[in-house]
Amino acid sequence: MTCTLGEVKQRADFIVYWGGNPAECHPRHFTKYTIMQKSKFLPRGRKDRTMVMVDIRETKSAKAANIFLQVKPGKDFELITILRALIKDQQVGDEQIAETGLTREALDDLVQRMKSCKFGCFFFGMGLSMTRGKHMNSAALLTLAAEMNAFTKFVAMPMRGHGNVTGADVIMRWQTGYPFGITFNRGYPRYNPGEFSTVDVLVRGDCDAAFIIGADPGATMPQPAINHLKRIPTICLDPHVTHTSKLARVHITTAAQGISAPGTAYRMDEIPMPLKPALKSPYPTDEEVVRRINEAIAQKPFWLPEGSQPQMISTQV
Amino acid sequence: MTLQIIDNATCTFCGCVCDDIQLHHDEVRIHEAKKACVLGTAYFLNHTAEKKYPDALIDGKEATVEEAVQTAATLLHEADMPLVYGLSNTTCEAQKLCVAMADQLGGLLDSHTSL
Repeated sequence: MTCTLGEVKQRADFIVYWGGNPAECHPRHFTKYTIMQKSKFLPRGRKDRTMVMVDIRETKSAKAANIFLQVKPGKDFELITILRALIKDQQVGDEQIAETGLTREALDDLVQRMKSCKFGCFFFGMGLSMTRGKHMNSAALLTLAAEMNAFTKFVAMPMRGHGNVTGADVIMRWQTGYPFGITFNRGYPRYNPGEFSTVDVLVRGDCDAAFIIGADPGATMPQPAINHLKRIPTICLDPHVTHTSKLARVHITTAAQGISAPGTAYRMDEIPMPLKPALKSPYPTDEEVVRRINEAIAQKPFWLPEGSQPQMISTQV
Repeated sequence: MTLQIIDNATCTFCGCVCDDIQLHHDEVRIHEAKKACVLGTAYFLNHTAEKKYPDALIDGKEATVEEAVQTAATLLHEADMPLVYGLSNTTCEAQKLCVAMADQLGGLLDSHTSL
């Protein structure tokens, strides 16, 4: 249940940011897409729109909001569940509401506003999706957005961070059917986050080589994961010599995307954008280097013994 | 010296991927990024066309790209369970080739999304 940022810009009169800090992390989100824009349907711009901020602390983004709701850390799931009950006029105990750090009046007001808007949108950040409850929090918020459609138009959209991380999801879904946490070790893609997701794989020490592109796990991952990257042969592609390059066996410097490398990048609402590089880099692009590595691998014998084909799903017991 | 201007350039620093940036450059560095936010401006102005780093490093020693490509292919091919990870700060075209690499290696494939 999502939409493009263009629709938000044109129509959304009720915007909720949940667990994110767009004022500092996505500085142009407010002005370009959400609260500041005037449109055919919202001619008075900011005055026609209501912004609610739900977060555990009062960040810079909270100052831009009409309503700031300070939820207790780790109580997002409880708050969403209460909202799901309240929109359906179900009974919720005072104790449950007190647990979230908010008042019944504030929640009743929020529910009333959510139901009376014409087009509502939840934008949720890592404060929701990467804290206690993780993907269950995201799932709960998406369910709340879906259920709100019994009353009015409501959508939800994640606030994606790094440049083209949305593109990574889209490309993997297109090529394998799954968005991340994939293994090809049976010859066909299988998906299981927790088993095949990188932090878990590295902390358990499952993999025996790593190819890192467009990321710096040496600076961002937990120490046990970094220690495993140091133990195994790591190959790193980056425009800079990063923390990961320093622990890697092989580092190749590549052109920076959008600066000196052409291509496509996806916006957070899954709209692909062509890149317009301004400079010519002395380094090859990621695309070229990966293609050359793939060609070099193709010269070597296939990883399964001669004559054996990848096991197909249809032949599995 | 007059600077060259690129209209409607795309910024890939954050997930907003703003596509209305005006870049003023002299082929070596970008001097101005109009309409970009603080993060985008820093991203555009800090990357140059100068050669600041070695082409490639193998075990910390400088090497050519071809040597590094061959070493990388050998290390990945020798591994029983190689991991292909990251894919955020790169183009969709490169991401597609990374999926092909993981498939070819029978390895793991993952992005920042799982972090």
